[in-house]
Amino acid sequence: MKKILFSLVLLLSTFFTSQFVAAAADLEVNTPAISAIKNSMQARHGQLAAHYASGAIGLTKDGLIAVRDANAVPLKDRGGLNSAVTAENADRNKLYKEIATANGHPEWQAEIQSTFAGRWIDKAQVGWWVQSAGGWVKK
Amino acid sequence: MSTLFRHVISAFCLLLVSTSAGAVTEISIKAARIEHPLGDAQDVNLQFNLNKRLPTLSLTAKLKQKNENDFTQLSIRCDVPQFIEFNAFKCSEGLLKNTRINLPFSLEISRLFSHGAPDIKAALQLKNANFSDEAGLHAAEKLSGNVAIALKQTGQVWKWNTALDWQLGEVFWQPFYLANGGHTLVANGSFEGDVLTVKTAQLKIKSVGELVAGGQVQLTDFKLINLNANLPDLNLNTAYPLLFKPLLQKTAFNDVEIEGKATLSLQMINSELKLFELRLKDVDLADRNQKFALYKLNANFPWSFDSPKNVSLNYESGELLNLPLGKTNIQAEVNRYSLISPNVRLPILDGALRLSDISAARIGGQWYWHLSAKLEPISMADFSTQLNLPKMQGKASAEIPLVTYSAGMLTTDGSVVLHVFNGSVTVTQLRIQSPLGIAPKLNADIALRNLDLGDLTRTFSFGAIEGKLDGDIEGLELQNWTPVRFDAMVQSSPGKYPKKISQRAVENISALGGGGAAAAVQRSFLRFFEQFNYGKMGLSCQLRNDICEMGGIESTPHGYVIVKGSGIPAITVMGYNRTVGWSELLARIKRVTDGNSKAIIK
Repeated sequence: MKKILFSLVLLLSTFFTSQFVAAAADLEVNTPAISAIKNSMQARHGQLAAHYASGAIGLTKDGLIAVRDANAVPLKDRGGLNSAVTAENADRNKLYKEIATANGHPEWQAEIQSTFAGRWIDKAQVGWWVQSAGGWVKK
Repeated sequence: MSTLFRHVISAFCLLLVSTSAGAVTEISIKAARIEHPLGDAQDVNLQFNLNKRLPTLSLTAKLKQKNENDFTQLSIRCDVPQFIEFNAFKCSEGLLKNTRINLPFSLEISRLFSHGAPDIKAALQLKNANFSDEAGLHAAEKLSGNVAIALKQTGQVWKWNTALDWQLGEVFWQPFYLANGGHTLVANGSFEGDVLTVKTAQLKIKSVGELVAGGQVQLTDFKLINLNANLPDLNLNTAYPLLFKPLLQKTAFNDVEIEGKATLSLQMINSELKLFELRLKDVDLADRNQKFALYKLNANFPWSFDSPKNVSLNYESGELLNLPLGKTNIQAEVNRYSLISPNVRLPILDGALRLSDISAARIGGQWYWHLSAKLEPISMADFSTQLNLPKMQGKASAEIPLVTYSAGMLTTDGSVVLHVFNGSVTVTQLRIQSPLGIAPKLNADIALRNLDLGDLTRTFSFGAIEGKLDGDIEGLELQNWTPVRFDAMVQSSPGKYPKKISQRAVENISALGGGGAAAAVQRSFLRFFEQFNYGKMGLSCQLRNDICEMGGIESTPHGYVIVKGSGIPAITVMGYNRTVGWSELLARIKRVTDGNSKAIIK
């Protein structure tokens, strides 16, 4: 009985603490820095979309993107693909940092990043490649 | 070379001699499996056909290096000369093929031995070859070209020379991309033990320039024992996309347009850079995102690991964040990974930024520097025009005893003083984070003293107010040059001076506070007056999370006083909305200063 009670308390406390964090971090918060970063990502998305679809790049499990199979891209575009991925990841890292800062908790950056990782993968279109614990999978 | 075969273990080897009319017509050697420390071979089939007028040798095999998973299919057929000393092996229809490689080639061996020692002369021709590694980061398509190889053994030393003529095809070799052929390489050297020596190598990259290099490589781990390289005449316009852009991906120079010439020489020993000298000649350089530009840049940048060197750099003109830069000459001393310069003067508009006691160092991939700065007066009229601000009069000057830059953050200790509108604006605690980045941040405290309200209201077409203004903007934070946080209070300066406010200004101020007073003016007899006297005026805004908490010079039960009247005719303007959305307030100010909210006098 004591054991059951203890488990129940443990369960409830983890439930409440995770609820607390989820409730406390406003992922939709907007600041000029965040909107500048989002605009930059939006402008780049047109260039990246075809590469998501072809499988040249995929969404990683840590909320970034990576070159998965450069062979899907003509040789002349491979350098550009690499730069776009580098720039996108720089923006994504800045975005997580700015959202944490805007929430008044810079130390939340890692947690916000992992929440976003799940969101990006959920929102990924069918046919895009996403990274799971076991490796790359086609959605 | 004998070691190559020493470890060969043949699973089984079969020699078939088919006879026809008593003569040997075909010799066939087959091996199911051959192992060697360098790699494995399977299904080796060597056929020597003597039946024809010209004997032929065909070889098919599956090959793989020890660390590879897949086998590569090799097939080749050669015409064998009757007298090896005088004739050539002509091997056509050569092919190396696997899932990622399709390499058709032909090989002509014109000499194999001289005086009993190996003395090989061969020519290899690639025709429309494709290859790629698994990740696609090193790949070529439709590659055609010729390679001439000569290899001669003298004692323990092999001497070689080669000429490579890349005629057609494209290559991506992470991070570099070469779109077309037309490049040549001529090189010679020797090979002894596991050290490859390149005596001279001359690489001509079409429309980019020429590289002359020499050096030694340890072949076991590809370690560079030494390297001397010279690029005597580099065309930066074509060299930038090819060589520099891929390497500058994470820097501010990753998207520039560049014209001009450069020369570069460098020396490396044991894979470490020992010295280099870079010269830039009449280079024009402009960021495609208009963040900076430098024109007629000439520089001499020598560097040595062992001794300090003097660097010089000058440009005719330039631009930084829309501010024009004048002719500048910079001298500095560079000592391994640090740089010092006693004085640099950067002319900006009609003034100049004078930097002194500059010291910079690169530690762990990050720049750190400090200096002291003095801004010689810049006319605000030019400054405001350049930044597309309403034209202001006056001068800006500054004296900052210590500016430090550490890991992307610029911090100042001192103050920037702008003498504008017959008063002063003092900026202290100025900090800027990644000014050239995508979302720059600026923090500062600003104090306004005795600004002439007449000039100010005319400049911003607000409606005439006579008087003087003081203000304090504390804890200001700009993100991407937009305010996100501050505690601001502006109010009429203390002291005796004429204090008058026009009816238009009253309406505009009321519009900022959310209306009310304007309507009152228009309804009452006050509408007959062009201007009113005031005793004191002030407005405060505390900006947090895009909301401005507003206040005035006094609080009342229903709002706050913005303008307190005095004398005859006097007027008091009240504000009623205490919280106003910042974007809404900006929109109101814009409407007012754009003149859309004209006074309507009924």
